[in-house]
Amino acid sequence: MATPADHPAHLQHHFVSSDQQFDAAKMGMWLFLITEILLFSGMFVAYTVYRVWHPEVFTHMSDLLDWRLGGLNTLVLLASSFTVALGIHYAQTDNKKGLVINLILTFVFACVFLVVKYFEYAAKIEHGIVLGSGFAPHGVSHGVDYSTYNDLFAQQFFSIYYVMTGIHGFHVLVGMGLFAWITVRAIKGQFSSAYYTPVELCGLYWHLVDIIWIFLFPLLYLI
Amino acid sequence: MSHAEHHITPIKTLVAVILTLFVLTILTVVTSRMNLHGLDVPVAIAIASTKAALVVMIFMGLKYDNKVNSLVFGIGSLFVIVFLTFTLLDTAFRGDLSNTQSGTIMEETRDNEALQAREPDPAGLQFNRSNE
Repeated sequence: MATPADHPAHLQHHFVSSDQQFDAAKMGMWLFLITEILLFSGMFVAYTVYRVWHPEVFTHMSDLLDWRLGGLNTLVLLASSFTVALGIHYAQTDNKKGLVINLILTFVFACVFLVVKYFEYAAKIEHGIVLGSGFAPHGVSHGVDYSTYNDLFAQQFFSIYYVMTGIHGFHVLVGMGLFAWITVRAIKGQFSSAYYTPVELCGLYWHLVDIIWIFLFPLLYLI
Repeated sequence: MSHAEHHITPIKTLVAVILTLFVLTILTVVTSRMNLHGLDVPVAIAIASTKAALVVMIFMGLKYDNKVNSLVFGIGSLFVIVFLTFTLLDTAFRGDLSNTQSGTIMEETRDNEALQAREPDPAGLQFNRSNE
């Protein structure tokens, strides 16, 4: 009969050891992340196909997206990836305070990202850049005359923009839910160097969301 | 301890990576605002790939991880490239193959230009019912 010391509470009975359980969970997460990459790759392929067909439209339309806001969001997401990695470091070194602070910071960065995105979307919708037949760029703001962006095929660019950033934004929202849950568990003291699998897996998910944005930013805002 | 062998990435490494990522972000903005004569897209994708590789290797710890996870990630990424390449082999070359004619595209263009430049025969422009 195994003693409680040999059989910690987090270890499920169908695993031989904590290590085996951890490795199995992590590999499962990597398999899930690959399905996520393939989900986004469909949209990246759509982007590439339409860009190859109408490169001048994509170059022109990317001017309408503010690189300062996109760049700010890139820095915010990178910083949140850093706080996740730091949080896992603290979990591994049994520093509960460090873990909780970094998880909360990650949540805050995710909020900042979505708030910036909200302002970007609102400005576009206000100037008639919407999905579907209502598409009619109009109005002037910050010295940009939106009506000069009513090119043929302009909708292709903005359809791709809204769908890609929308699905990415949904992933950020899901990540916020995950980090709220992980933070509560961390505050309750459920994680330690012996068991921090949920932190590790949510971290992997969050880094992937960051990587998607690393590609979206230059493709949509810069080039 | 069962977890003694888990790799703990030092804070110094994490800080170095995030600073590099910030610098690369600034670099991609700067290069996109310069005229790189058609190299804009490859440069932007190269910088983004470098950033993604840093995140995957250090932040996600694939460099220190079980090799089977690298295999999963590598094969997945390979299929993304297959997906992209084979789709482009279709969409990027449409029209080049479908209207098959014996001449090359350049020859066809030349013939078309010659036809455009030719002075029309006045008799051929006359409406004549017997032509029908």
